[in-house]
Amino acid sequence: MNAIRGVSAVFRFEWKRSFSVPRMVWWFLLTSFPPALFGMIRLLIDRPSAGSSGADAMEFTIPIGVTILCPGVVCIMGVFLWATPAITSELQGQSWVYLAVRPHGATSVLLGKYLVAATWTLPAGLIASALSVLILAPEDPGRLVWVQWRLVLLSCLSYAAVFTLIGVVFTRRTLAVGICYVIFVEVFLSMIPAVVNSFTIQFRLRCLFVRWMGWNEPGFSDMPMAQPFQAYFGNESDWWHLGMLLGTTAALLVAATLILGRRQFTTSAETDA
Amino acid sequence: MTPLIELNSITRLYGTVIGVNDITLTLPPGAYGLLGPNGAGKSTLLNLMTGQLSPTLGTVQVLGHAPRNNPKYLSRIGYLPASEGLYSNVSAIDWVSYLVELQGFGRRGARTIASESLERVGMTEHMHRNIAEYSRGMRQRTRLAQAIAHRPEFLILDEPFNGLDPIARHQMTELLRRWIEEGHSLILASHVLHEIESITRSFLLVCGGRLLASGSIEDIDELLADVPSEMRIRTGTPHELASVLMQEELVDRAEIGEDGAVVVATRTAVRVYQFLTDSAAAGRFEVTEIHSSDESLQGVFDSLMKLHRGEL
Repeated sequence: MNAIRGVSAVFRFEWKRSFSVPRMVWWFLLTSFPPALFGMIRLLIDRPSAGSSGADAMEFTIPIGVTILCPGVVCIMGVFLWATPAITSELQGQSWVYLAVRPHGATSVLLGKYLVAATWTLPAGLIASALSVLILAPEDPGRLVWVQWRLVLLSCLSYAAVFTLIGVVFTRRTLAVGICYVIFVEVFLSMIPAVVNSFTIQFRLRCLFVRWMGWNEPGFSDMPMAQPFQAYFGNESDWWHLGMLLGTTAALLVAATLILGRRQFTTSAETDA
Repeated sequence: MTPLIELNSITRLYGTVIGVNDITLTLPPGAYGLLGPNGAGKSTLLNLMTGQLSPTLGTVQVLGHAPRNNPKYLSRIGYLPASEGLYSNVSAIDWVSYLVELQGFGRRGARTIASESLERVGMTEHMHRNIAEYSRGMRQRTRLAQAIAHRPEFLILDEPFNGLDPIARHQMTELLRRWIEEGHSLILASHVLHEIESITRSFLLVCGGRLLASGSIEDIDELLADVPSEMRIRTGTPHELASVLMQEELVDRAEIGEDGAVVVATRTAVRVYQFLTDSAAAGRFEVTEIHSSDESLQGVFDSLMKLHRGEL
């Protein structure tokens, strides 16, 4: 009970702290970046006429573009900047000690900050994807927004867990490690057409994206534009990917909590002992 | 009665560096001063007591609990660390309420408790302002408020007087005295003797990671009774003074320092002081300065370290 109360206290306290000018500016930039980019594209590039091959291509490129930017860039950047330094910021600010000497203090801070990272980024992702779809005006905007919102939610929850774990394991050069992880694992590794890519968050999100867009269904899956997505069709169900993603998230958080419980930080220099 | 602190042959290593070296100690509930120069191992000891560190060897029990990762134990202690670590963009009431909530209290209850605690340290008037606007003394009082807010049984304070002006020091001293009078236990780490002396008469002296002595100031004086103390005496006639002090058998050793001062080692410092006063009054020697290096805490520690090593 105390641990839940602690998580709730951290969540409320950190949310209140987040209403600072720099953080609000950052949130606004994050939210407005995809709609602004798509708006410029709309202004500069003419939309292909209906029934042309260009129009068919747009049916794929618009959802892909929104997915790359909203559940991808916006969510990753948002949770990266919140969750990765969750512990190191307290250590560097020498405020960790006040939290660590409370019952379940370390766990409360970890999980509370994880939730703040996810919920702070969530509205940015939701608004950015809705505005992007509105600007790009695809054939079925309702479906695309619904798919994007589900992906944004999953992306925030799972990436926040990844960066939380990174922040606990690497208390030095945390942000650099986080960036390396994104580049090498979530970008390069997830692209490799082998079993190894199934260990990435991106792979699961792409599988769900392809399925929720219905691109694995006959009629779409045989279109030339759908060929690059064959790797994400697979035999597994949506629920399997969803379960894997949420299971991985829970496992990452449990690992982070256990590792943090074992780590020892001194008060003098606030460095790992 | 459950001992307040029970340390059983504890050693804490930081890689190859020894933080605390083979300390065994049992203390009943009460107020204690943990005294030692900077780097003596005080903070390491406190970190072991607050459960932030676990000993490399040995066992730690405080209030009958092993402190590390022990929520039950942590709900019974209050801790004021040496490092400041305050959020600048938060008010004292928000910060203390937050920490009280982490202690397991409900939201409203925590707010009330935090408010009472801030009132206790004289911060009511300023508690809604951002901490960034506080003076050093106000920040220190706010830090103390978070440590005592949840009414812990045992208060652990690491250098609580750091950076305080004389008035704030006096206020802090009064507050801690009241805390002790109310029957609570505390341990207070400092490298300044008189800061601790003003609060408690029970000391633990640590140096080089070792516990050199424990007890009252009288116990420590007794321990050092046969230890020669060093004095530097500045006079216009150093050779004559040194010679007389040796002839009178007032000192064990006398030499002339590089700065021309007479440096003596004596087991009867009071007699030397008396002799010098009488001589000056009689116009026999003109003494311009007397400095006893052992008056400083470092001198006491040096002597105790030598005693500990069997060099005295």
